[in-house]
Amino acid sequence: MDSRDSSSPSAPNPDGSADDNEGGLPVTAALAKEAALHFQSRKFAECIDVLNQLKVKKEDDPKVLHNIAIVEYVRDGCSDPKKLLEALNNVKKRCEELAHASGEQVESGSSSGNKFTLDSKGSGTTIQQFSSDSAGIVYKHEFDTSVAALNIAVIWFHLHEHSKALSILEPLYQNIEPIDETTALHICLLLLDVVLACHDASKSADVLNYLEKAFGIGNVSQGENGNTGTQQSTNLVGKSSSVPSSTFVSDASSSDLAASVNASENPLSRDLSEDRLNEMFSTLDIGGQNLARSAGITSANDHPRITVDRSISGVDLKLKLQLYKVRFLLLTRNLKLAKREVKHAMNIARGRDSSMALLLKAQLEYTHGNHRKAIKLLMASSTRTDAAISSMFNNNLGCIYYKLGKYHTSAVFFSKALGICSSLQKEKPLKLLTFSQDKSLLITYNCGLQYLACGKPILAARCFQKACLIFYKRPLLWLRLAECCLMAVEKGLVKGSQTPSDRSEIRVNVIGKGRWRKLLIEYGISRNGHVDSIEKNDWALGGHGQPKLSLPLARQCLYNALHLLNCSEWSNSKSVLPSNSSLEESEPSDGSSYKNPIHKKLSGSNSMAPTMLVGLVNSNGDLKEPKGGANQEIVQNSVSYYEDIRGRENQMIKQALFANLAYVELELHNPLKALSAALSLLELPGCSRIYIFLGHVYAAEALCLLNKPKEAAEHLAIYLSGDNNVESPFRQEDCEQWQVEKPVDCEEPNGGAAAAKNPSHESLRECMFLKPEEARGTLYANLAAVCAIQGELERAHHFVTQALSLVPNSSEAGMTAIYVDLMLDKSEAALSKLKHCRNVRFVPSSLQLINPANCCEGGLELDPE
Amino acid sequence: MGKKMLNLEEQCKIVNLLKSSSEQKSIEETVTDFFTNSKLRHFNVCYSLSLLLQDKMMLSSTERLVAFAILHRSYSSQKSAANPFISFLVNAACDDGAEKYERAFILQLLSSSNSNSSKEFLKQSASDYIKNFDPSSQNFPQREQLQKQYFEKVHPEPYSCLLQNTAVKNLLADPDVPCGCDANSAELDSQPGAKSKLGSGDRDEALSGLIANLSLEGLIPHWIRPVPPRFPVDEELVWLNPDNSHELQWDQGMCADTSRGAAVRDLIAKALKGALAPNQQEQVLVELANDPKLVYHCGLTPRKLPELVENNPLIAVEVLTKLINSPEIADYFTVLVNMDMSLHSMEVVNRLTTAVELPKEFVRMYITNCISSCENIKDKYMQNRLVRLVCVFLQSLIRNRIIDVKDLFIEVQAFCIEFSRIREAAGLFRLLKTLE
Repeated sequence: MDSRDSSSPSAPNPDGSADDNEGGLPVTAALAKEAALHFQSRKFAECIDVLNQLKVKKEDDPKVLHNIAIVEYVRDGCSDPKKLLEALNNVKKRCEELAHASGEQVESGSSSGNKFTLDSKGSGTTIQQFSSDSAGIVYKHEFDTSVAALNIAVIWFHLHEHSKALSILEPLYQNIEPIDETTALHICLLLLDVVLACHDASKSADVLNYLEKAFGIGNVSQGENGNTGTQQSTNLVGKSSSVPSSTFVSDASSSDLAASVNASENPLSRDLSEDRLNEMFSTLDIGGQNLARSAGITSANDHPRITVDRSISGVDLKLKLQLYKVRFLLLTRNLKLAKREVKHAMNIARGRDSSMALLLKAQLEYTHGNHRKAIKLLMASSTRTDAAISSMFNNNLGCIYYKLGKYHTSAVFFSKALGICSSLQKEKPLKLLTFSQDKSLLITYNCGLQYLACGKPILAARCFQKACLIFYKRPLLWLRLAECCLMAVEKGLVKGSQTPSDRSEIRVNVIGKGRWRKLLIEYGISRNGHVDSIEKNDWALGGHGQPKLSLPLARQCLYNALHLLNCSEWSNSKSVLPSNSSLEESEPSDGSSYKNPIHKKLSGSNSMAPTMLVGLVNSNGDLKEPKGGANQEIVQNSVSYYEDIRGRENQMIKQALFANLAYVELELHNPLKALSAALSLLELPGCSRIYIFLGHVYAAEALCLLNKPKEAAEHLAIYLSGDNNVESPFRQEDCEQWQVEKPVDCEEPNGGAAAAKNPSHESLRECMFLKPEEARGTLYANLAAVCAIQGELERAHHFVTQALSLVPNSSEAGMTAIYVDLMLDKSEAALSKLKHCRNVRFVPSSLQLINPANCCEGGLELDPE
Repeated sequence: MGKKMLNLEEQCKIVNLLKSSSEQKSIEETVTDFFTNSKLRHFNVCYSLSLLLQDKMMLSSTERLVAFAILHRSYSSQKSAANPFISFLVNAACDDGAEKYERAFILQLLSSSNSNSSKEFLKQSASDYIKNFDPSSQNFPQREQLQKQYFEKVHPEPYSCLLQNTAVKNLLADPDVPCGCDANSAELDSQPGAKSKLGSGDRDEALSGLIANLSLEGLIPHWIRPVPPRFPVDEELVWLNPDNSHELQWDQGMCADTSRGAAVRDLIAKALKGALAPNQQEQVLVELANDPKLVYHCGLTPRKLPELVENNPLIAVEVLTKLINSPEIADYFTVLVNMDMSLHSMEVVNRLTTAVELPKEFVRMYITNCISSCENIKDKYMQNRLVRLVCVFLQSLIRNRIIDVKDLFIEVQAFCIEFSRIREAAGLFRLLKTLE
């Protein structure tokens, strides 16, 4: 606060209180100012000297200790965040103790708030109840902990500990009004980065709205005119009240209010001195390359923050907010609006560093499916050859090539990106910024996906296991791990499992010769027994070794994912209120109108967002500043749109989870659990046809294993038309739609074209699942099995014949056919089927007699006549 | 690869057993010899034998008898119903296509365990038994009768899978003989030393091959279990953008001058107890205007608000106006609504309504409280005063369009009528009428 105090003209305050401080105040204040100047000019050694003098004068002053901790940390090359964290936490604790001790702690909102809302009948409930536990402990200036808390959050953020950062920032944000503007702005920006990283759209929208209201810088021209200091300063007011130049006040009544406030002799806004404003803006940096950039600028001058022109920094903040907005829109996949806003950002960034805007534009095109364009933009954006940037660049290229279906090219880029990361990590000592720029875990996740696509489950699992450190709360990660297990089992890479060819192979031992020749058929042994011989404890992921992929591990992963999904659904339904509360609270005036949720009004019609915007673009294609309220509505709209998408995605994930779970339980011989998973799958609303098909097939098999063939048959009979005909359980479109469905509407002419081109391409690569006809064959075969068990042999015979015509390669269908023939005493027919089956291997037995323990398999093909 | 039913030792045992059946050894002896090794897995051995027995060609007649004897003996210590092969034995005994001596032998076996009936028939060798067999000496009971006799106390079958229960044996005869030849013709047996003919084969070789390869599992109908498809990769790939560099912040509040804040705090504390002097009031207002955050640190809490309102309404208005964005403002409003009605509180609310937008609910609530206070007051003089005040207050609110009269029309009208004797109330009533 020293700068504010010194700049305010009405400083003289000789009487009374100053004398209380033993006359030491002027000296300490001067020292504090000196230290701050040293810190700004990065003369850390001198800074420490001054601070130590202060420490002698004001022993145990938490703020002095705080600044010492900060300076020591920076001086030592930012190498020990743990120590700094400890120091800052101590400072915070000390502050709170002091506040308690001095009895000067202002009553907190939480204690009093509850009491009063209880007292009042009726009114308390309609007036926004704001008494969340964390908010509202306000201390005297001396004991204000907001800066220390902010710094703690900064460290957690750089360490990728987003939830920890969030737990600190949210209380600060809830009670942001008493915090001074510079700190408040930093808190908001950091919070915005954190919630964006957490993909929390509604919180992002909230903070974004608040930022624009409280710190929004009118329109572009204002910043470029330069001489608008006073006007800008009026923007730095509290939340909703009068903000004449930023036009977010929506209705007439509140603008009346604004007028009335301005008319009153004590305007709410405080005139900030230009120096202060300047200082505030200049502490904001754009983009991650800020270090490199400021180094370039400051080569001649050691005072970057002071030399930066005010108008430029005003625009910098404007650009920054604009980029945040684009990131928010990209997060919520409101691509149309994002396109417009990124253009706007490019305009603001004209003549400045536009690399971040370009990157976002590239991301936009990538999300749109315009992969070529995305590559071009990426190339254009990465002019700087900073290692961290180039690793991200490679990662992003990897993403694009993955989407193009070129998995091996994408693998090259991902591993290049990882290589750069690991070389960064080798830099000693490790710095905080290095931590925050280290995206290796994220890239590793991408790698995992790519390995999975290439059919390398063990490598993929290793990647996912690493990425677990940050993604452990994501249901998808666990689903992917389960998929790794299934793929590994299927490919025979797991101890006890068999290779796919082994699995579907019918082994026939040929015994004896001539009239004594006998055929001994062996099939399905692998399925019944070996896999579960793996020790139950093997699945643990711990340690540094590679995860042991197995079916029990798959099951565990699927349960994790389901649990997380249910948790998030549960908390989503609860968290809507608190996340909006501060927004609501900022506008007590139209609280009632706010409460009828914009969600409901607009969620059904996503097309409204674009139409509302039509009016906002003038003939030049530039974006006019949206009229009051519209902006907020758009943001809110995006949020509900995004929540829609997320809801649908979670539903999809849930379907996949239950389907996989049912499959795994069947493989593990738990028909009861398999049945319950399959039934859960079938109960899901809006289940896709493919998963419905799987649900019925799994449920039927489980019922069969539970000796309930009649009920099993009912599940399959759903697809019967007439007595003996099976309909296709799904169509080819279902397959494709399911594989390529993108929640984004690709109305853009070029986007649409690309999207139209893609499906065929991707479906070729990705659609590994049964074709509709094969699915039909599967149903026929399983119907045959059910009938055979129930002794309806003729019917079984009919079904299995149909099955064999649709899925001639299925050894299961072949076996069922042979079984039915044998039961019908048609051993001749059975023999000829056996000999025509594709997956049969005839093994002469004489070889095995010699060494039965270690039989070698010189597969001799018996010529079928 | 598949699970073999018999280990090497068991295989040897069985082969030896079958060989020895043709020797002149009593059946009893042969069987006892067989069981001298306790390591045999009875079920596996018996199951193999039963599979071999099912093929009528495979075993010679003496071998069959010995095999049946083994099947029976393996479980003879228990009740016959507990023998897993009891139905196999009964079926064999009732098989009309089988040799009479064989059926008789089985019947004798079955009855031998029941009573102490003679086991004499086991004292001869298998070939002697066949030779000495007199078909007339034996009568063959009906299947039902046997089932009744031996299945009597059948335990309910333990859980087993239906698929497995319906299994058929996985052994198929596939005689490799030239066209037109009878596969059962003994000519095709290869003779030692003779040149092997087309379609010829050695029974012993086939037998030992079978014994070595038999497996427990039969043929069952098979289920196709489709592997679930991999979840599509949609927005899952992580696109990376550089982070904003959030830097550590210097605490500007270090050693800051807090004297003026302290002064304001002192003045506010005083203001709770009594009216401030005009210059003191001025100082508070100026300091609050200079530092918009000071209001949060001036020591006021919702609980203390009524005292401030009563003693220094102007300062209360100023503080509340500045706290309008505070998270605690709702608490302040609640306190304001619930405090005792007075000139000062009304003045504060009135001024607030022009300075900031108050929540509609709050204003409504306040008016309702005003009206009920007027009604409840006992002192006539005080009542008149309060009613006039409320009327002026309401008129001001209506004129300034702070409230929508429609919301409170009935309530306010009733109030006006009740106090119509007071001039201001009549005036308010007229104002209401003009708005209708």
